[in-house]
Amino acid sequence: MSGVSLELRDLTLSYGARRAVEKVTARVDAAEMVALLGPNGAGKSTLLRAVSGSANGVSAGGARRTGQVLIDDVPLDEYDGASLARIVAVVPGQSRVAFPLRVEELVALGRIPHEHPLLGPRAADHAAIDAAIERVGISALRGRDVRELSLGERQLAVLAMAVAQAPRLLLLDEPTVHLDLRHQVKVMQLLRDLAKRDGVTILAVMHDINLAAHFFGRLLLLDQGRLVADGRPSDVLTPDRIRTVYGVDPALVAVARS
Amino acid sequence: MRRLRLPLLTLLLVAAACAGPAASPTFAPTSTPGPTALASQTAASPPGITLVDDEGTTVELPGVPQTVVSLTTATTELVFALGVGDRLRGRTDLDLYPAEATALPVVATYQGVHIEDVVAIAPDLVIAGGNNFTAAGDVARLRDLGIPVLVVYAPDVDGVLADIRLVGQALAQEQAAEGLVGAIEARITEVTAAVAGLDRPRTFYEIGYEPEIYGPAPDSFVADMVNLAGGDPITTTDPAVFAIPLERLVTLDPEVIVLGDAAYGICPDSLVTRAGWAGITAVRDGQVRPADDIIITLPGPRLGEGLAALALAIHPDADIDPPTAGTEYCSTL
Amino acid sequence: MSTSVVAQRRAAARPAAWIDRLRHRPAWLALAGLVVLCVVAVAGVMFGSVAVPAGDTLAILAHRLLGWPVIVTWPASAETIVVELRLPRVLMALAVGAALSLAGVALQGLLRNPLADPYVLGTASGAALGAALALLVPVQFALLGFGLIHVLAFAGALGAVAIVYRVSRLGGLSSLSSVLLTGYAIGSLLAAGLAITMYLSGQTLRQIFFYLLGSFSLASWPQVAVGLPIIVLGTAVLLTRARSLNALLLGEETAAHLGLDVRRERLVLLAAASLVTAAAVAMTGLIGFVGLVVPHVVRLVAGPNARALLPLSAIWGAAFLAMADLIARVSGELPVGVITGVIGAPFFLFVLRRYRGGYEL
Repeated sequence: MSGVSLELRDLTLSYGARRAVEKVTARVDAAEMVALLGPNGAGKSTLLRAVSGSANGVSAGGARRTGQVLIDDVPLDEYDGASLARIVAVVPGQSRVAFPLRVEELVALGRIPHEHPLLGPRAADHAAIDAAIERVGISALRGRDVRELSLGERQLAVLAMAVAQAPRLLLLDEPTVHLDLRHQVKVMQLLRDLAKRDGVTILAVMHDINLAAHFFGRLLLLDQGRLVADGRPSDVLTPDRIRTVYGVDPALVAVARS
Repeated sequence: MRRLRLPLLTLLLVAAACAGPAASPTFAPTSTPGPTALASQTAASPPGITLVDDEGTTVELPGVPQTVVSLTTATTELVFALGVGDRLRGRTDLDLYPAEATALPVVATYQGVHIEDVVAIAPDLVIAGGNNFTAAGDVARLRDLGIPVLVVYAPDVDGVLADIRLVGQALAQEQAAEGLVGAIEARITEVTAAVAGLDRPRTFYEIGYEPEIYGPAPDSFVADMVNLAGGDPITTTDPAVFAIPLERLVTLDPEVIVLGDAAYGICPDSLVTRAGWAGITAVRDGQVRPADDIIITLPGPRLGEGLAALALAIHPDADIDPPTAGTEYCSTL
Repeated sequence: MSTSVVAQRRAAARPAAWIDRLRHRPAWLALAGLVVLCVVAVAGVMFGSVAVPAGDTLAILAHRLLGWPVIVTWPASAETIVVELRLPRVLMALAVGAALSLAGVALQGLLRNPLADPYVLGTASGAALGAALALLVPVQFALLGFGLIHVLAFAGALGAVAIVYRVSRLGGLSSLSSVLLTGYAIGSLLAAGLAITMYLSGQTLRQIFFYLLGSFSLASWPQVAVGLPIIVLGTAVLLTRARSLNALLLGEETAAHLGLDVRRERLVLLAAASLVTAAAVAMTGLIGFVGLVVPHVVRLVAGPNARALLPLSAIWGAAFLAMADLIARVSGELPVGVITGVIGAPFFLFVLRRYRGGYEL
């Protein structure tokens, strides 16, 4: 399954008078892996929410939208919730589980957009679930209750759920928060694998500049709702820009890509 | 398809269970064959008995009832007093008089009527208590099952006399009923005459003391009895309310207090220890007397004696024959 | 903390082996449930305060339900008891048990709260107030076995949910805890109204009291004919909501991302759950505990997958309530709500301890 393109045209999101995102224009091509950076309150999560779809009665926290979002060159509004879910998967930063839920059951939720509404998961769905668990490397955790896992393991499980959904566009909201180094690297490597092998388009909100710079080929830098830079890490993360946007004095060290 | 099977199966089972009985007619129990023919031989009158009960419902009895179930304590007493206690097959758990009544099976309690038990008895007549004494739902249920139910309710003393006649008519014991009515009326006349010339003291009939003070509601049966017995009844403010605040009681200041809860151990000596009661005229002057609540408030054949007992509690020196029924409480002799 | 202690703790938290085996075989649980249901249903028709011999009972059922030409050897009163009194009662208990359990599953899933039960959105208080008002109003009518009390209880239950829905602006996206809190507030308000009504009611206080405790003693065929279709309709709708409930396990946003029309599903779940709860409460009063505990017990054994949870809750909930009613009946017509609490609570604690998974709230 190859990825789809994502395009933002003059996207503006406002809460009343306040503009959270202002006139952002960018295009992410199929199989590209892009990170969305910026300080707190820059509008990254709001933007991601707008991209993941305001359909289905869950609006982007009530934000009003002008401008366009196009997925696979089709405006977002022309997708209904079900068809969108077959293309786009979202990995939330945190999720609360109210009831005992096993890892394999969590991953199985990713098949909901594909499974038959009345009959439920069939052989193909079960195969996809097993493949996703295998791919993310959490086979040993299959039968465990999600709430007992460490944060890193839980995030991997949620990622497996997104993988099981077989998306062509994968959106992630701060996927490495609270994770230890080992799991951070694991998640990043998995994303890279998905983009390379399956051609999935990836857009991830990242809070960790270093991690983003290391693993993503393209960065979008937001500052107070505006897109101030779009390009390769070395082009985007100049000392001046970091000083302006983040307000800190950086020391830049070039590290060889692994 | 697997997933659908279970809900479908359950639905089908339920539907099948429904479809069956709906096709058959409702079953109506018949009385035991035989005695129903007796009534038709007496006179040219039709064999059945038609009555209108106290709720205005017409009750048709195919013959003289031989199997009777009583759902009120007063009715149980009454049926025995009419001399046909042997026809009773069921009572409530509070029916303890006369002593023979206790041998009958209990088919109703405070929680409701045990419909199954009543149906199993297959009675010709069930006598229930009006004003929701017997739950209206239970009455309707019994009638739906084809059992004749006569609902009796006496809001005042005249109502009791009417009910005695009604039940007497239902059981074809009109003569015995008239006898009972006559006895009660004689007592009423005696009491009324005896108290006619006396003062009418403000009288509080205490039905209960804890957790709240309970007394008669305005226009209630007990208020009626107190009136007849030569007292001026102190009542609550509303026909639906039975609790009376102490403040109201103290303000109205009864001159006589009759302890209807004497059967539960409340005796005149204890009143002066109650907080705030010492100032009440009746307590100060020692005009507190115990009474047997059962004969005074039960709308049954012993009501005449109850009236006499109540009158003597209010006017101890009145010219009234002492009651021949009821229990004496708190005697200090 | 050393690794071995952590590992020990984790091992201890794993469910018992028998639960594990059953989890992967929901069909076994369903079958077992159906067997128990049939046994309880038949027992419910056989036993009661009046003894009808088992042979007679089965013969009566065969004669009336299946139309077999059986020679009548039993007294007419026995047939009345079995067919007119016990059978509709058992059916009603099964239907209400299934309805309340499914409503519990739906509301727990929708609100993502393990403490949610069918009455959490004010249905109980609304029904109780409606019933109490009906008893105060001096209007009597009886239509198909239902009186004013049933109509007003039904209206009260639905009315309460509608109020909560509007007040918490559930139509838009609002925090689920605001829904719960609104439900609690409205419920309390209605309960206060109920207390006032009960105080003013005098003699009818007893009726309200027993109605509130829940009972199947007045179940009759006309009632079943009216109430059962409503419950079956709502139950059928709820049984098809498996996909929605699964999607909602991680919250409404994730559910939307999985393709669910959250607004519509919320409405459907709420409406269906409220409908069956209102119908159940209107007919039989407030029977607590079933809607709260049955989903939890089934979930602990069969997992949270709604495709298993829904039908299993319906089956086992029906069996549980029918059994509770039978026990209530033979122990002197105790209110069935008392029995469900007395049996349900210890059993729930037992399963909870064996599982040792616990709940986060």
